[in-house]
Amino acid sequence: RMEASCLELALEGERLCKAGDCRAGVSFFEAAVQVGTEDLRTLSAIYSQLGNAYFYLQEYAKALEYHHHDLTLARTIGDQLGEAKASGNLGNTLKVLGNFEEAIVCCQRHLDISRELNDKVGEARALYNLGNVYHSKGKNVANAGTHDPGELPDDVKNALQKAAKYYEENLSIVTELGDRAAQGRAFGNLGNTHYLLGNFRSAVLAHEQRLLIAKEFGDRSAERRAYSNLGNAYIFLGEFETAAEYYRRTLQLARQLKDRAVEAQACYSLGNTYTLLQDYERAIDYHLKHLVIAQELHDKACWSLGNAYTALGNHDQAIHFAERHLEISREVGDRSGELTARLNLSDLQMVLGLSYSTNNSMMAESQAVENSLNGGRPRGRRYSMENMELMKLTPEKVPNWN
Amino acid sequence: SQPLAGGQAAELQSKVVPSKQILHSNNMEMEPETMETKSVTDYFSKLHMGSLVYSCTSKRKNK
Repeated sequence: RMEASCLELALEGERLCKAGDCRAGVSFFEAAVQVGTEDLRTLSAIYSQLGNAYFYLQEYAKALEYHHHDLTLARTIGDQLGEAKASGNLGNTLKVLGNFEEAIVCCQRHLDISRELNDKVGEARALYNLGNVYHSKGKNVANAGTHDPGELPDDVKNALQKAAKYYEENLSIVTELGDRAAQGRAFGNLGNTHYLLGNFRSAVLAHEQRLLIAKEFGDRSAERRAYSNLGNAYIFLGEFETAAEYYRRTLQLARQLKDRAVEAQACYSLGNTYTLLQDYERAIDYHLKHLVIAQELHDKACWSLGNAYTALGNHDQAIHFAERHLEISREVGDRSGELTARLNLSDLQMVLGLSYSTNNSMMAESQAVENSLNGGRPRGRRYSMENMELMKLTPEKVPNWN
Repeated sequence: SQPLAGGQAAELQSKVVPSKQILHSNNMEMEPETMETKSVTDYFSKLHMGSLVYSCTSKRKNK
């Protein structure tokens, strides 16, 4: 009965993760672990999925813990394929955490076992992971200095050249297997590796392949990534017009995909490209567009941080972010953002029983801003981002806005 | 001559080199990682699994 119950919980966890609800999936998997099972293979599968769910939720310390449990278990029961998979997942997690040397050992283990088992699919996946680790390692060291692509210290160059070699090896296997999706991923990352190495023509060729495959699959996110990377490469080839064209396509897709952060980045890239083209009017136009979105994202971040700190009862930090929000809103002349920030601060003051000392004019000013907006005190502050967005992000929707 | 000098100036102007600053604003877009997956159903024989799922679903119906 207990067995069935653990399995039942785990199956529900799997279903939820497949449906894209990792947070709920984690709850079921953790419940399944609580109930426990004597079947170590089942437990290994639960650990593995918990590790992946936490990885996708970007909680890498927990991902590491569970993939490590999975690895130990797989070794205990002598499950070679299971060990290979756990090693690969552990390697990917260590890479994200910046522990490149251990990541390489784990990914190499994934590769070695896959080859022993004559598992071509596993081998290709391990090669891709290894490429990713070496790419990250190279990029990480390169970022420590400020280098243009192509002018790199030897250790960076070595890591990147290894990455390119692993991507090429991966490509030859997945091409043989006819796995187009895997080819697309390898071309994209190979292109970025060539870019860092300063091989801009090779980068363009790889990203063009990536673009082709993205279109085959109707994968618009991948298509957008390819445009953006092509734009970057053409900048360094000195072909600014072509770069601008690709960045414009990036922007178009970012808007279609409703990804504000990527939209901001595309505007910024376009601003820089038009600067290089000496078309300063357009450059200014795009930099302003970037500024507007950056401001909006900053507000959201302050808002979310303020909420999180309030929930934790960390009012000092909550006030710090509310004040920053206010400061920036004032600087850029965002009156409705300013109002929201003031109201948040006054809420926090109430929570703190007015022990927080503020300049006395603040409340009076709040009233003035509020009156000028002709809007009532927005309901549901600190509970609903939407209300704030109506108040703040779309001033044209506020009645009598000057 | 005068026009030539003007031409040279224009040529110099057009040779704008991307600066490091612009490079570092260029976000490289990486492809997603691939994680290896396991499933609790991987290790069960279909027969064994079938009876378990049956017991699960029948339990659920009885609730």
